[in-house]
Amino acid sequence: MSQKIIHSEGFKIVNRYFESLGNTPFGFQVKTWDRYMLGYSGMVIAPTGFGKTFSVFMAVLIDYMNHPERYQKGLKLLWITPLRSLAKDLARAMQTAIDDIGLDWIVQVRNGDTDPKIRAQQTKAMPDILLVTPESLHLLLAQKQRDKYFRNIRCITVDEWHELIGNKRGVMVELALSYLKYKYKDLQIWGITATIGNLDQAMDVLLPAAKKSVQIIAKEKKKIAIRSIYPDKVELLPWAGHLGGNLVNQVVPIILESKSTILFTNTRSQSELWYQLLLQAHPDFAGQIALHHSSVDAHIREWIEENLSSGKLKAVVSTSSLDLGVDFKPVDTVIQIGSSKGVARFMQRAGRSGHSPFETSIIYFVPTHSLELVEVAALKEAVKTQTIENRDPMIQSFDVLVQFMVTIALGGGFQSTELHQIVARTHAFHYMEDEEWQWCMYFITAGGKIGKRYEEFHKVVQDNDGNWIIKNRRIALLHRLNIGAIVGDAMMRVKFLSGGYIGMIEEYFISKLKKGERFNLAGRILELVMVKDMTVFVKNSSGKAITPSWLGGRLPLSSNLSHFLRKKLAEAISPDNTEKELRFLAPLIQKQQSLSAVPGESQFLVEHIKTREGHHLFFYPLEGRLIHEVMAALIAYRISKRYPISFSMAMNDYGFELYSDKEIQLDQAQLTEVLSRENLMEDVISSINAAEMASRKFRDIAVISGLVIQNYPGTQQNNKSLQASSGIIFRVLMDHDPDNLLLKQAFTEVFNQQLEEYRLIKAFERINNSQIIYTFAEEYTPLSFPIKVDSLRQSLSSEALIERIQRMEHANKSKRGRRK
Amino acid sequence: MNIQEQHITFNKQTLILNNQRTIFWPKQNTLILSDLHLGKAAHFRKHGIPIPSDTSSRDLQRLAALIDHYQAGNILVVGDLIHAGVNQEVLLLAAFKQKYADLNFHLVLGNHDRKVEKLAKQIDLIYHNDKFELEQISFIHEPIIAPSAFTISGHIHPGVSIKLPPNKHLRLPCFWVSAQQIILPAFSKFTGLDSRKMPPEYDCYALHDEIILPLKNS
Repeated sequence: MSQKIIHSEGFKIVNRYFESLGNTPFGFQVKTWDRYMLGYSGMVIAPTGFGKTFSVFMAVLIDYMNHPERYQKGLKLLWITPLRSLAKDLARAMQTAIDDIGLDWIVQVRNGDTDPKIRAQQTKAMPDILLVTPESLHLLLAQKQRDKYFRNIRCITVDEWHELIGNKRGVMVELALSYLKYKYKDLQIWGITATIGNLDQAMDVLLPAAKKSVQIIAKEKKKIAIRSIYPDKVELLPWAGHLGGNLVNQVVPIILESKSTILFTNTRSQSELWYQLLLQAHPDFAGQIALHHSSVDAHIREWIEENLSSGKLKAVVSTSSLDLGVDFKPVDTVIQIGSSKGVARFMQRAGRSGHSPFETSIIYFVPTHSLELVEVAALKEAVKTQTIENRDPMIQSFDVLVQFMVTIALGGGFQSTELHQIVARTHAFHYMEDEEWQWCMYFITAGGKIGKRYEEFHKVVQDNDGNWIIKNRRIALLHRLNIGAIVGDAMMRVKFLSGGYIGMIEEYFISKLKKGERFNLAGRILELVMVKDMTVFVKNSSGKAITPSWLGGRLPLSSNLSHFLRKKLAEAISPDNTEKELRFLAPLIQKQQSLSAVPGESQFLVEHIKTREGHHLFFYPLEGRLIHEVMAALIAYRISKRYPISFSMAMNDYGFELYSDKEIQLDQAQLTEVLSRENLMEDVISSINAAEMASRKFRDIAVISGLVIQNYPGTQQNNKSLQASSGIIFRVLMDHDPDNLLLKQAFTEVFNQQLEEYRLIKAFERINNSQIIYTFAEEYTPLSFPIKVDSLRQSLSSEALIERIQRMEHANKSKRGRRK
Repeated sequence: MNIQEQHITFNKQTLILNNQRTIFWPKQNTLILSDLHLGKAAHFRKHGIPIPSDTSSRDLQRLAALIDHYQAGNILVVGDLIHAGVNQEVLLLAAFKQKYADLNFHLVLGNHDRKVEKLAKQIDLIYHNDKFELEQISFIHEPIIAPSAFTISGHIHPGVSIKLPPNKHLRLPCFWVSAQQIILPAFSKFTGLDSRKMPPEYDCYALHDEIILPLKNS
């Protein structure tokens, strides 16, 4: 090692500490320590379990021990983490290390869960190291003493940066960093991230104008073993979705043989379902397994996490709610139910087992229909080649910006030109026009339509020095209560009539239930008794129950995984010896080939299927459900432009269906035209209701920008007079203030996120460069069947659904029988 | 403004429901409406939520157009004339009242109509505390379940969700009409809709800028 640092006193002390634990520092840790000492900012990229926390944290300690004169009393290191639950354990680990080394630094957490007493104490004297979430950092910036807090700060670390960069919380971090960097010039900023596809960009976003910056990538790699669970036989017509529950009997022994297991599902409803399935398959699990998702009461979740850590739970069924967070040491097995929708998420979940750096993480994949085995093959290749998704940073999020401006006004005010400069330095607002800044100023100071000044609007006002501040105490209070960029669906609390809180549930779901109906939540079967004041009162029940389908539970398929899926599907027709999954699927693939075709990598398959019910067109772009939704509307629109016909649509991650009871007239040449790249976005806009989609996107924007107030102080009655849904406000602004920047943002978000314009164009370019294969069949093919089943599911209860599928399968069989 | 109408008979009286969220009662020469929520936008602004004021002035323009159209001599608001106390936007009423000096302006107080006394003097408003009766029809702000007499109410902002094939939904304001009771839609466009399931004894008239659409309850 050529680094200067190893001769320093601080390094020797820390090295001895590592030795006392029986460890030696990893190369990337030493490099981080060295660069930190030289005054660099930077980004550390290391897999979980390799001590990435200690890279930056120890760097600060070493630097302090080498140069104590550089450090003053008060807050020295600010540590931003996306998760509250992460902070507590992290703080504990840091404090232990500090105590063992023999320093007198204090580590504390500050977030929504922090004891008010400790918070008051921090207000008087900050600890040496403070762990915060992006929201609690903004809350600190909204306080008048903010300068006192940060005066002696030396370093800010953004942990799990990959979790923040792609969303509006990342924009919150960018703004706060830019502000603090402007105020405290010597500040060193470090990011810690897992591997993502766009590391260079991630660093630019974190450190937009750093003079001395460095990227440090750990050489150590986490080994991952992927094991598929195979059904006893290949269903030639694969069912979609939760029906894969028949593999539960193979999952039980895996759990029994492991010390502790996490089962990951994609949706809360799927997790509720699997929890019940496991209990039915192995009743002894009662009391040994638990259910963890974001609608489960926070206290219960905490209890689950503690018992997972201490090894008291045999298994936990969870959603992405356990993707992140502290390591659960006893967990040695991870099971993924159904598609993980992305390579990064899959690897992250795998990493939740086998924690020590050189242990292999084992992840079992349980397909929910046999075609998903193709996905295992795709994942294996993506993991092997380390092809991991990008996390694209958000830009021009004016909702976050106006919230931030009010926050800064609240914590002692700002000068407009100065804050403009600070904001323009961030990546997120790099392209902001002067008029856009002016509009935001106008939005928080004048109130309403541009060009009008309303006398009752006093949100942000100017003091005698030209500082923009907030005077009104109620406005200040409302703002503090609503800082953040996480917007939930309208949720209702679920409580027992006898008292006792169970969890939260979407208002949307409850509004469809009648009194006396039963539903699953948090692993219980509950009967609806009454709804009062945003609280659902229930009692325990038993028997058949509805599993809530939570809105927004559908993760989009990443374009990365799409690519590998298409490749593996093409290979499935003559699989390599090593491709166990594809070989297993051989009978299904052969059936697909004999009835229709298996699309090669440079082919695009369209199936025209005629059944007794009517006429179906199936398309297989393998781009994920969200894109298929847009494509289906577009293709239906283009066909109906040729001649009047209306379709109903269905889709899954693999393809989509257009269905009509009338005959669909479409020959090969017309099909090619319908799939054309020409006039793509124009036709998309005509085929969808952009205003309606924007209205949905506007929901989050309205809450973040303060147009809709989510949290009120106490339970005062007069809060009602300030309630308006984002839908009403969207309509009012469309009618009376169409130039409102937040409306435009909603439409932009529709194009970037919902329609994924870029990806859509790419997909059509690919289709246009492919050979289009157009086949005709008189029965459902293995590829089309799951889509058909999914479309039935939307309108039917599950028993009726199973009956109908069996009838369809039967019809398919008898048709073949007749032909023979 | 496009006014579309439906004539109904209620307690032997002919009433004209229109798509502009009001009822005209020819025999009494009275325009009936509810839930104007005047001053709501200003109230939002006062609490730091920037909503343009055009919502209020447009609502009043619409009201003026309806009075002109029917040549109404009386106007009856079945509650929630104002949203939250008297503010700048509520004072738009004064100018409105000047234009219609001969108009009798009745209000049955709703849960939102706080502190109207002063306003009442200013604009010659006749207000009634709990209810107002005319030709054996009671006007009460909050609807009573299964009323014993003929009543007309507001308060709940009824709405209806109409399914447009294949899977779109359109939510519209509406009247609920039973043999004994009429529930008025909210007059203001800056209001939400309650599109819960309508009880079976009602028929529904869905309102749109271009049409009034009677929907039988099935």
